[in-house]
Amino acid sequence: MKWITARRRHPLAGYVVVILALALFGVGYASLAPTADQASAQTLSAEAPSPEDVDTAAGKAIFDQTCASCHGLDGSGSALNGPDLREVGSAAIDFQVSTGRMPSMDPDSQMPRKPMVMSEEDLANLIAYYDESIRTDGSGADVPYDVPGTPPKADDFEDQAAYEAAIEDYEAEYDSYIEGADDVDMGMKLYLTNCAHCHSWSGGGGALTDGRWAPEIHDSTPRQIYEAMVSGPGAMPMFSDGVIAPDEKQELISYVKTLQAEPNAGGIFDLERVGQVAEGFIGWTVGLTLIIACAIWITAKQRAHD
Amino acid sequence: MSKTTQAPKALRGVGNFIDDRFHLAKTGEKNLRKVFPNHWSFMLGEIALYSFIILLLSGVFLTLWFKPSMTEIIYDGSYERLQGVPMSEAFASTLYIDFDVRGGFLMRQIHHWAALIFVASLVVHMLRVFFTGAFRKPREINWLIGIAIFGLAMVEGLFGYSLPDDLPSGMGVRILQGVMLALPLVGSYISMFLFGGEFPGEDIITRLYMLHVLLIPAILLALIVAHFMILWHQKHTQYPGTGRTDKTVVGTPMFPGFAVKAGGFFFFTFAVIAGLSALVQINPIHLFGPFTPTSITSGLQPDWYMGFMEGSLRIFPNWLDFTIPIGAGYPIMTAVLVPGLVIPGLIFGGLAMWPFIEQWITGDKSAHNVADRPRNAPVRTGLGVAGIVFYGVLWLAGSNDILSETFSIDLYVTTYIFRTLAILGPIIGFIVAKRICLGLQRRDREILEHGYESGTIQQLPSGEFIEVHKESSAETTHVLESKPVITSDALTEGTTDEKGVENPEARKGMGKLRRSLAHWYTKDNISFEGVEPHSGHHLHHGSDKDH
Repeated sequence: MKWITARRRHPLAGYVVVILALALFGVGYASLAPTADQASAQTLSAEAPSPEDVDTAAGKAIFDQTCASCHGLDGSGSALNGPDLREVGSAAIDFQVSTGRMPSMDPDSQMPRKPMVMSEEDLANLIAYYDESIRTDGSGADVPYDVPGTPPKADDFEDQAAYEAAIEDYEAEYDSYIEGADDVDMGMKLYLTNCAHCHSWSGGGGALTDGRWAPEIHDSTPRQIYEAMVSGPGAMPMFSDGVIAPDEKQELISYVKTLQAEPNAGGIFDLERVGQVAEGFIGWTVGLTLIIACAIWITAKQRAHD
Repeated sequence: MSKTTQAPKALRGVGNFIDDRFHLAKTGEKNLRKVFPNHWSFMLGEIALYSFIILLLSGVFLTLWFKPSMTEIIYDGSYERLQGVPMSEAFASTLYIDFDVRGGFLMRQIHHWAALIFVASLVVHMLRVFFTGAFRKPREINWLIGIAIFGLAMVEGLFGYSLPDDLPSGMGVRILQGVMLALPLVGSYISMFLFGGEFPGEDIITRLYMLHVLLIPAILLALIVAHFMILWHQKHTQYPGTGRTDKTVVGTPMFPGFAVKAGGFFFFTFAVIAGLSALVQINPIHLFGPFTPTSITSGLQPDWYMGFMEGSLRIFPNWLDFTIPIGAGYPIMTAVLVPGLVIPGLIFGGLAMWPFIEQWITGDKSAHNVADRPRNAPVRTGLGVAGIVFYGVLWLAGSNDILSETFSIDLYVTTYIFRTLAILGPIIGFIVAKRICLGLQRRDREILEHGYESGTIQQLPSGEFIEVHKESSAETTHVLESKPVITSDALTEGTTDEKGVENPEARKGMGKLRRSLAHWYTKDNISFEGVEPHSGHHLHHGSDKDH
């Protein structure tokens, strides 16, 4: 304590206390705050589930419990902001549920991406029930099962070996989908012409009108990106397979995912790829501030005490 | 009894050789002993000089490989992701600098970070000069040169930003063209002339390159040299202090003291810029990809110094657009013209005119070599803060989409917030800053009169507790006493002369305007008249209790 007593009137003591307090809060917050890393669904199958694997009765139970209060028991929607589901297609159901946006807690505001609330099996049952009983004449887009979904999670496997095998399968499937597209020019043009004006060049998202926003798409799986294009969720326009063909979609998704995986050649701090606003901010707060601090330092002199 | 130490013989030989031919000894002696006042805020302009030197050197490096050509080629370089993509030679050669030239990526980032720091240091240097009144006679011309450097630096930065022909480059040039097109009558001609045809054409990069590496830097360099020569000739301003007058400069001699400081400061500036460039990615053109006229992206801004123009474009309403009904109708796009030309014109024009306006208001024609403390010119300081707030609001508005997304505020709401702030903010800023200045003046008077609070509590025999005030140092007393009285001869000259004839100047509109401005400029000042240093009662507590 003597050490502190001797130094607490030092001119820098106040700054040290502030820095310590900030560090304490920062570290404390970082260790306590929930991380977003758990936000992934568990699509294990690359193929459509066969009819004997799914349980439409269980799917109906899920629908009646979690969806019907807004969308109605027959999926025809309700006055309570629940849109009509009969013609949206199963791709829309898979997108909304697997990204955790549905079931929604607050139908009046735009839903952020969240961990999926139900198991992969429940989702398959729900989609089977939707296809069988609610969807009108197969309208809307189907779930693109040939596009890679979310990687398998360790919790879903009994033993480590099975999990590693599943991961390997998934990665092979993912790589073949991403690398199967090699026309960067086409992917880039499609992305920068159709997507970047909302989701931004980096896929980091952006602001939209009326308090909406275009979400960041870094966590999205190729399948979710594909489903978003064919179902047009929220304010997003629909890009059906007639507008952007499946192989063009593959180029586009490959462009986004390759860009996302691209290392930051310019330095270890990428400023979240926000761009010029972040660069200007750092230029002033770090660059110029440090230089001015140095100017203060080299011109400092002992002041008369008063 | 000082012993003169002689320089080594070899040095003397060289010195004599040069001096016999150029007679430099006398000039050299005088200039090396030139005195520079010591204060951190006098180093801000040097940051600009040093980053300009870094810009020149790194820029020369970049020109060795950059090809200012818009010829379309298929990329076949070492950056694999973009192989096979059609792009301009300008973009391809920038990728070459990044990925094939040793140290090229670092140099490009140094060039870019140095540009951001350069303009930022110009701004803080200019603000220092403004707030301390260092633009007053005899330095008005140097102030104007400074404004020209600031304006040119922005244009230089904008053009440099446009050269790599990457996605944000092209978008920036497109906005530039949009502003040009909004010019009545001549807009489309200027645009067709600059671009050599329709946007984007095939010439713009080559032309901007010439402007960026030759014309503008040459003018900038000439202006910077002139700026320094005038500074050298007129000597630097200094803050008030003992021995410092309008005729005497107190400080460190150029050699060796100041030269060592300045040299070290260059290396520190360079270290910060190089450190940022090594660690923080800036303008990653390889991730952006080449510009095509169909490409567009959200979340992109110009570099920070163009941010206030971007912001004024974003928040200025389009209600005032109108069409002149000639022929098919001739639209006048005030929503682009006003933010694109009128607002920067107001900011730069206002800055350039201020020394002359202030001189006109106060009628002060004398030379000032001692800088004002900002608090002692409250109206000027208030106006400066109002300007900063106005600029700052426009600047923030330029990033409204990023702010909207980061802080989850409705994008439209930000527009209304910024529109309101752009009008109210400067007014509030002016009032608050002026009040703070006056408060500081009051405290100055208090300290002058009563000394400073020593933190020592004393109990008097009567049981009363008092805090002992101590006398300020002679330096502080001198600084406080030297507060100038702000006056204007517009207020002192009578409206009539001694024979009762009206003063014709004062009767005219301009005379009345000047009189009311002078009243506004001088009315709020804390008078130090009759204040005797350390005469306050606190000092004499205990001995003299019957005040």
